[in-house]
Amino acid sequence: MNQNKSGIRRYGFLVRLLVLSVLGVVISLPFVWMVSASFKPRAEVENINLVPIHPTARNYPIVLSIVPDPGTGKFVPMQFGRWYFNSVFIAVGTTLFQVLTSALAAFAFSRLQWRGRDTVFLMYLATMMIPGVVLMIPNYQTMVLFHFINTYHGLIIPAAFSAFGTFLLRQFMLSISPALDEAATIDGASPWMIFWDIIMPLARPGVIALTIITFLGAYQSFFWPLIMLSDSQLYPMSVGMLTLDSSYGQQTELIMAATVMNVVPLIVIFVTCQKFLVSGLQLGGVKG
Amino acid sequence: MKAAFALVTILFVLMYTGAEGTLQGPKNDGRVHLRWATDSNPARDVQIAEFGKLYPGVTAAVDPSAGGDISKVLIQCATGVGPDVIDLYGDSMQTMADAGVLLDLTPYASKMGFDPSHTYPSARGALVYRGKQYRFPCNVSVNCIIYNKQIFDDHNVPYPTPNWTEQDFIRTAKLLLNNPSKSGHHHLAYAPPGGMTFYEDELIGRGGRVFTPDGLRCVLDSPQSNSALQDYYDLMFVYKVIPTPADTASISSQGGWGTGAINWFSSGDAAMLPIGRWYICQLYNYPKLEGHLGSVLLPSVGGLPSAGVVSSRAAGINVNSKNRAAALKFLQYLASPQYSNVIVTDGDALPPDPMLAKSGPALVDSAENDPAFQQPFVDAIKTARPIDESPYIDADVVTQWMGDYVAKVENRLMTPKEALAVLTAQVNQQIRRNLERRQDLQKLYEQQTGKPYSSNWWKS
Repeated sequence: MNQNKSGIRRYGFLVRLLVLSVLGVVISLPFVWMVSASFKPRAEVENINLVPIHPTARNYPIVLSIVPDPGTGKFVPMQFGRWYFNSVFIAVGTTLFQVLTSALAAFAFSRLQWRGRDTVFLMYLATMMIPGVVLMIPNYQTMVLFHFINTYHGLIIPAAFSAFGTFLLRQFMLSISPALDEAATIDGASPWMIFWDIIMPLARPGVIALTIITFLGAYQSFFWPLIMLSDSQLYPMSVGMLTLDSSYGQQTELIMAATVMNVVPLIVIFVTCQKFLVSGLQLGGVKG
Repeated sequence: MKAAFALVTILFVLMYTGAEGTLQGPKNDGRVHLRWATDSNPARDVQIAEFGKLYPGVTAAVDPSAGGDISKVLIQCATGVGPDVIDLYGDSMQTMADAGVLLDLTPYASKMGFDPSHTYPSARGALVYRGKQYRFPCNVSVNCIIYNKQIFDDHNVPYPTPNWTEQDFIRTAKLLLNNPSKSGHHHLAYAPPGGMTFYEDELIGRGGRVFTPDGLRCVLDSPQSNSALQDYYDLMFVYKVIPTPADTASISSQGGWGTGAINWFSSGDAAMLPIGRWYICQLYNYPKLEGHLGSVLLPSVGGLPSAGVVSSRAAGINVNSKNRAAALKFLQYLASPQYSNVIVTDGDALPPDPMLAKSGPALVDSAENDPAFQQPFVDAIKTARPIDESPYIDADVVTQWMGDYVAKVENRLMTPKEALAVLTAQVNQQIRRNLERRQDLQKLYEQQTGKPYSSNWWKS
């Protein structure tokens, strides 16, 4: 009987392993293809072979404008360093402001007692139900009024406020015992001190989860920067890479080389912080 | 936590200072700076430089769009900060004109030398909407079949001849697929550019139309249209000489509206590719093809002369542009021989000025110096025709629906006849709805027909 159970358990484990392995391969295949294509010459890039027949690393220096494209004899019109910096800068700015404003709003919605608090929160939450496309033109109009078109401000400030971030952190803060605030108040702590010294350290998993989600989203953002910017100095990588995709066709191998370099920071951040991301989302999902 | 926030804030301030401090401000050089909404193709730099030589007081900078998508321009124009010059691909002119985004060029075009008479007769209709000119071509494209002579030789198949028919095409493709190759490689006979491209070329080749001349009725269920789509179906599933979308998906590692086909052909895996002259601008990437390419008109069908779709990337002007005079000069430049010369030497599609595309030798450039290769494009533009549009329904919507039904046929969910019958009914129903809703269309109907509009107009 015991042997049977052990056999079934082992069989179940093998099936799970097989299914997960297949899923893992399927999920990682596009990434492997991307890396593989970045080492292929143009004539080979459409072939499905994952291992390049004539591997070449020349796509990387071409994208970095270190060497000219051998076909045209010209440098590709990419400002890789500038665009890379812009991507990181915009993502850092957006993340900093969004996490800060979300935490402050979450504190107000969870720890402070004021009239109409929950109604205002529900109204704020309701903004999440409006599709982004519907808000595109009003948001853009607002940017025009503030003269934020073609500026870094126009990319960072609209993304500095998030109903989702507020909701996520509020759930965390609700799970922290109110007795801590009361004790701190009796000891003479102001709401500001309670926020920074008691609540924020205890809400750390949620703050880290929101930081990662916001950073990844801002780093990969495409459409908003595309419509906001016309000056190539301000492009993030996502928009800058359009120079490799013209109406006469894509330079796929160069796009892949640029993408490989572009995703490195994301992979580093995700791999190092995934523990916080998972635990943060789990906690935020069950408390309320 | 406080320390982390403080550190990130310091980092942000440093980055902000660095970012803003290294930005180069707009050049105050006394020139008018135009914004040109187009794809960020490196070729635009050359075109802008030539513009600067002709009009020293004006310059232009590219405001990039994503693959011809008009969302960015529409949002910018809706908020009053649109670009000055706007590239319009395919069907977008009607959408943009109806949205009130485009300047009516008619009062300026004749005086400044960029009215439709300055380009090919076959391309003129696509510049005008409801009697008004809204754009002038940046280039003009018509498909021919480019073939790889090496693959034909490898399979011992004769090259296509100028007056070949669809039966010749099928015979040639079968030989390419069935004749053993000397090299031992298997090749595709034909790199498929996508169902819609094929169907539209076949429709025009048969003298078919999308709408009646007054635009009030869709006629995609006509015998010509049925025959065009049926032929596409037969080539895939009966003769099996062109790959089906399923075949394509299984061998393609990349999406896009034709990039896959281009790469198959360019990498020597396919013998024939239907495409415009602009293909040669990327030949530098495929040195193995040098000296081995031929081109021929699309196969003729039904005893009619060979014909295909003429398309154009054409530029219009934002009605709210603050630099209207300079933007008009830009369109004047597009009609100039200097601009057309840039298009010819750059290996782009055909130049807007027909005088520079009079013969094969006139189109010879460094990318492809064989006049015989260039000649079919000169011949093709004479018989080509744009896909007709109706003022009563958005052309973009019709194209999207056509694509949906062609896909249903490709996937054998419907027969060509069924698909076209349903599509035609759907388009006609939308025309009726639009007429019911919009008074401007009702007025147009009355002007066109001389009859008062009534909700039962379509029954007559």
